[in-house]
Amino acid sequence: MSVAGATNGTGMNSVGADTILSIRNLTKTYPNGVQALKGVSFDVKRGEFLVVIGLSGSGKSTMLRCLNRLHHPTSGEVLYRSKEGSVVDIAAAEGEEILTVRKKIAMIFQHFNLIPRHSVLRNVLYGALGRTGVFKSIFGLFSSEDEKKALEYLKLVGISEKAYYKAAQLSGGQQQRVAIARALTQAPDILLADEPVASLDPATCHTVMDYLRRVNQELGLTIVCNLHFLSLVRQYATRVVALKGGQLVFEGSPMDIDEAWFARIYGEGAKEVHIN
Amino acid sequence: MAQASQPLVSETGAAVRRTILDGFVFAYLVFAAVAMVLVGDENLASQVPQFVVWFLGLTVIGAGISLAVSSKGIKTLGWQIYAPPHLRAKSAEELATPLYKTFWGMQVILTVALTVIIGVQMTQIDILKLLEQDRFEHAMRLFGQLLNPDWSILPKAILKVIETIYIAFIATAIAVPIAFVLSFLMARNIMGGSKLGFAAYAGLRTLFNVSRSIEPVLWAIIFSIWASFGPFAGMLALLVHSIASLAKQYSEIVEGIEDGPIEGIESTGASRLQTIWFSVVPQVVLPYISYTVYRWDTNVHGDYFGSCRRWRHRYDVDGVLRSGDVAASGMHHLCYRVGGVGDGCVLFARPRCD
Repeated sequence: MSVAGATNGTGMNSVGADTILSIRNLTKTYPNGVQALKGVSFDVKRGEFLVVIGLSGSGKSTMLRCLNRLHHPTSGEVLYRSKEGSVVDIAAAEGEEILTVRKKIAMIFQHFNLIPRHSVLRNVLYGALGRTGVFKSIFGLFSSEDEKKALEYLKLVGISEKAYYKAAQLSGGQQQRVAIARALTQAPDILLADEPVASLDPATCHTVMDYLRRVNQELGLTIVCNLHFLSLVRQYATRVVALKGGQLVFEGSPMDIDEAWFARIYGEGAKEVHIN
Repeated sequence: MAQASQPLVSETGAAVRRTILDGFVFAYLVFAAVAMVLVGDENLASQVPQFVVWFLGLTVIGAGISLAVSSKGIKTLGWQIYAPPHLRAKSAEELATPLYKTFWGMQVILTVALTVIIGVQMTQIDILKLLEQDRFEHAMRLFGQLLNPDWSILPKAILKVIETIYIAFIATAIAVPIAFVLSFLMARNIMGGSKLGFAAYAGLRTLFNVSRSIEPVLWAIIFSIWASFGPFAGMLALLVHSIASLAKQYSEIVEGIEDGPIEGIESTGASRLQTIWFSVVPQVVLPYISYTVYRWDTNVHGDYFGSCRRWRHRYDVDGVLRSGDVAASGMHHLCYRVGGVGDGCVLFARPRCD
C-alpha cells in the first residue's frame, strides 16, 4: 500500500474527488483454478448506496471480499481515496496494512458471522478490536469510550435492551442489526454488505435494509451491498452495477434495469421475484 | 484466513500425484496377491530388503501403466482423487457407466477385496477354537475370578485409586495448556495460509503421530529409569501421552469449526491472535472441556494394553498362563513399581493368587 505521489502507479491521481473507491481491472483466480473475477472496473462514489447484482457464482461475494482484503486479488487495483484526500492501492496492501484497510472498510454478512455464545454487547465491542491491544482485548478490557459507542450504536439499530443477551438468542433480523452495530463501532469509511437479507423473511428484510439506508443517509457512510432481489434494489440503491461470469455487464441507475437488461444479467427465462 | 499465497494447484502437480498414487496402488496389488501365498512363511523377515526394492520397482511400473492408461483418456483412481475441479465434469456416457465397469472402480474393488482377504488370513480367524470345551472352561475360570475379588486388599486398593486419580489429574492439568497452544499450530485451517505455517503444521503432526504411537507403558519404563520408580515417573509417562493425544484431538476440533465467525472478526481489522481468540476459541471451548474430562478419565484407567502385553510376554516364556501370573505380573508391577499408573481398581479386582 503506497500513498499517492510517493509511488505514482497507473494514475492514482486520476481518482476523482467524489470517488471513494476506484476498482480497476480486478481479477481473482482461486487456487483451484476457478476464475471468479475477470477484470472488473468501476468507481464507487463517496456517500452512495451502491448495489451489486448478479447470479450466484457471478463473483459478487469475491469482489466484495477483495475490497476489504478478506480475499486477496490476483491482479488489478483497488484505489481508496480517504476523507483527507490521500489515495492508496488496497490491492497492493501487505501484512499490517491489510488490517488498516479492514478497519476502514467494515463488512456485514449473509449469515451475520457473530460469535453466538458471546453477549450482544461484546459482539458489538469486537468492532473495536482493531484499535485495542491484543492483551487488553483478550482480558476484555475495552476502553469506556468504546463501550459507550457500542451501546450508542445498539440503540441506533433499536436493540439496546438486548445488550446482555447471548447473540444466539436473537432472531436473524436482530442478529444482522447487531452485525451492523459491530461494523459501525469500527468507525469505518465504507460498509460492505454481502447478501445482508438473503437469509431473512420479507418483513425483517425491510427492517434491516431500512437501517442500512439510515446509516447511509444519517452517518454518511458509503455502502456497497450485494443483493438478490431487484425490488429491493429499486427501493434502496442509488446506483447499481451488475456482474455476470466475473465481468461487469451493467452500470447505472436502478430504474434503468428493464426486462431486456434483466434477461441479460440473469439469463433468458429468468423471472423476477417480488418481495414486499 | 488461508487464501491467495497458496500456489495454484496446477494440472501438472495433479498429474504427478495421480501417477505416484496409481504406482503405489499397483505395487500394493501385486504384493497383496503374492502375500496371499506367502503368509506364514517363517523366512520372510530376511527378505524384507529385497521386498522394498521390488515394491519401488513395481511402483515405477505401475506409474508407467498409469501414464499409458491416462494418455488414452481413461480415468484412474489417482485422477479421481487429485484431478483439479475444473476438469471433473462428467460426460453422459461416464455417468451411465456403473462403478465396477470403470477403470478406477476396478482399482478400488480389487484393492479392498485383496485387503479383506489378506486381513482375514493374517488374523488367523478360527471360530472353532472358541468352541473347544477345555479352552472355554479355562477362560471362564479366569473370568469367574475377576468377578470374585480378594476383599482383603480393598483398603490398599482404595489408597491406590486415590493416588491414581491425583496423578492423572496433575498429568492432565499440565498437558491441557500445552496441548491448547499446540492444537492451533496443528490445525490446517489456521496454519495452511503460508508455506512456513504449513511446514510447522506438517512437522508437528508427524512428531506427535510418532510420540502418540509410543504406548504410555513404554514412556513409563523410560521415565522410571530417569526419575526412579514411583508416582512421578507414572505422571511423566501419562503427561507425554496426554499432550500428544489432546493436541491431536483438540486440533481436529479446530479444523471442524465454522468459517463465518472467523470472517466476522477478521473483517473488523483484528490481528491474527485476536481473530483466533475471539472467533476460534469460543467455538472450541465446550468440546475441549469434554475431551479433557475424557482424557483424565482415560488417564485414571491407566493402561490395560500395557498389562496385556506383559501377560502375553510371560505366556510366551512359560507356555502357560496361570491365574497368579495375571495378577502378579500385570497389576502388581504396574501399581507398585511405577506407582499408580495401573489403576488401583484393577488391583482390587485381581483374581485370587495361589
